[in-house]
Amino acid sequence: MNARSFITLLRRETWEHRSLVWVPLVVATLIVVSAILSTNVTNSIEIRVDGEESEFFARLAIDTAKQSQLFAVWMSSLILPLIVVGLTVLFFYLLDALYAERKDRSILFWKSMPVSDTATVLSKAFTALVVVPLWIWLLSLVMGLLVFVVVALKVGGTPLAPLGSFHVGTWFALQATLLLNLLVAALWYAPIAAWLLLVSAWAKRAPFLWAVLPPALLALFEDIVFDTSHVAQLIAYRLTGFFRSGFGIADVDGRGSAEHIRESIRVASEHLSALPLLGELHVYTGLAAAAVLLHGAVRLRRWRDDA
Amino acid sequence: MTTPIIRASNLRKRYGKGSLALDGASFTIGAGRIVGLMGPNGAGKTTALKALLGLTPFEGELSVLGLDPRRERDALMQDVCFIADVAVLPKWLRVSQALDYVAGVHPRFDRSRAETVLGKTEIRQRSKVGELSKGMITQLHLALIMAIDAKLLVLDEPTIGLDLLYRRSFYEMLLNDYFDHERTILVTTHQVEEVENLLTDVLLINHGRIVLDSSIEAIANRYLQLITSGEHVPAARERRPIHEREVFGRTVFIYEDQVASELAGLGELRTPSVSDLFVAKMSGGVQ
Repeated sequence: MNARSFITLLRRETWEHRSLVWVPLVVATLIVVSAILSTNVTNSIEIRVDGEESEFFARLAIDTAKQSQLFAVWMSSLILPLIVVGLTVLFFYLLDALYAERKDRSILFWKSMPVSDTATVLSKAFTALVVVPLWIWLLSLVMGLLVFVVVALKVGGTPLAPLGSFHVGTWFALQATLLLNLLVAALWYAPIAAWLLLVSAWAKRAPFLWAVLPPALLALFEDIVFDTSHVAQLIAYRLTGFFRSGFGIADVDGRGSAEHIRESIRVASEHLSALPLLGELHVYTGLAAAAVLLHGAVRLRRWRDDA
Repeated sequence: MTTPIIRASNLRKRYGKGSLALDGASFTIGAGRIVGLMGPNGAGKTTALKALLGLTPFEGELSVLGLDPRRERDALMQDVCFIADVAVLPKWLRVSQALDYVAGVHPRFDRSRAETVLGKTEIRQRSKVGELSKGMITQLHLALIMAIDAKLLVLDEPTIGLDLLYRRSFYEMLLNDYFDHERTILVTTHQVEEVENLLTDVLLINHGRIVLDSSIEAIANRYLQLITSGEHVPAARERRPIHEREVFGRTVFIYEDQVASELAGLGELRTPSVSDLFVAKMSGGVQ
């Protein structure tokens, strides 16, 4: 398998699953359009300051360090809707990736080509964990710049003017952080992606139910029989742990005193990077699990014979 | 026969707890041959092909181009091409994408050749497979596969569901544009009449076993068809025909390994067609 073949396999995924490309694109476009249409500029940066806003922004105007913190936090918050949408389309993509080709029997065509089952399964995991995140990063980058321009034009000459200054160094650092975050997210979510691919390679029908019900029933069983919740906690941690450990964005609470807002912005700007997550053992146990599950998916695709 | 490119020995395969799909099938296929693997529905044709192509687990010894399809499938697919069935190209695939894909993954794909073949059809590069007729999908699939320089081409019921015109042009293309006496073609069908004129070899399979493995020339040496009637029938029967049937008041016997001179006086002698042999072998002896 050379690079050209592998790139062809990745292109094939975007041909079949075009929603991977256009759904994030549509969402990014909608965000830009809503920034253009919104009359209240603060809506587009998701910070509401009650009462004390003029004082808050007046102080912000003379404190460029605080300004750049706020800039980083609201820029990074723009990627969140894309990530939510991306996770959703990826979930359904992975469930479909090795299921649809058996359903429509096209697996017999793919298997007539000199492409190993390993390369095929890896191309699908790579699409979900690298290609789509890169696309989302690229979209968020362009979208961020466009939204910034819109906001800068709107706040010019108002008390909110400090929001319209562009912090070049902060911006570059932020893009690098977001890119790294997405790669960390890929490592964190690899076992889930691998589980979905395994189900996709295995299920005769209803891969969605096979992906969701067994873990749910296992958690329920544990709860009833042992009155413990290790399985549920493990799954919940794997699903949400990335956002708790990395991405401090969610911590920004726009309501409250100006002082409180400043503090939460500072905290958030210091927790934008997900890199500390790499220090956690869970990332590596997850990767080991992902390797086992992917191996299972490869073997199933290799030997299944019901097309 | 030149060195065999397929050597199968005692292939066995059972689906679930059902009967054996392959029950000790053994055969060899030489390079540069056009072999018809024929048998009634459920005889084990498709299972045999799936075994050759490494698509299904089985027991027994099998070597294809010197490789074991179970362990060395990835290497094998560099030199083997197959159409497992018509209508397996996915509906969402555009013709241009199909070309891009095969060009991207297959080092022996000649894109301009495929495009030339497609240019002679109604198929547009912008079209999706889902928009093409069944005949056009087969044409597309064939254009892709035939532009690949493979040592072995395997076709499983390639013309099923196609009308007569397409079937005719399919086999003409196969013979005129593709076959070059170095490649080997293995084709399964249950429509024997359609292919018997282009084959060099015949493999008949029934109940998972090979019941005939012969070149077309060798058939003339081993098999005789006697058409007779009236008083000769009892004598003809005594020569132990493998098959007997009535056609328009005359009796047609088929013999295996019988000396022609001993039958000569009994009626009209000729070499049976593949279809006749197929019927004789499948019905399993004198009826």
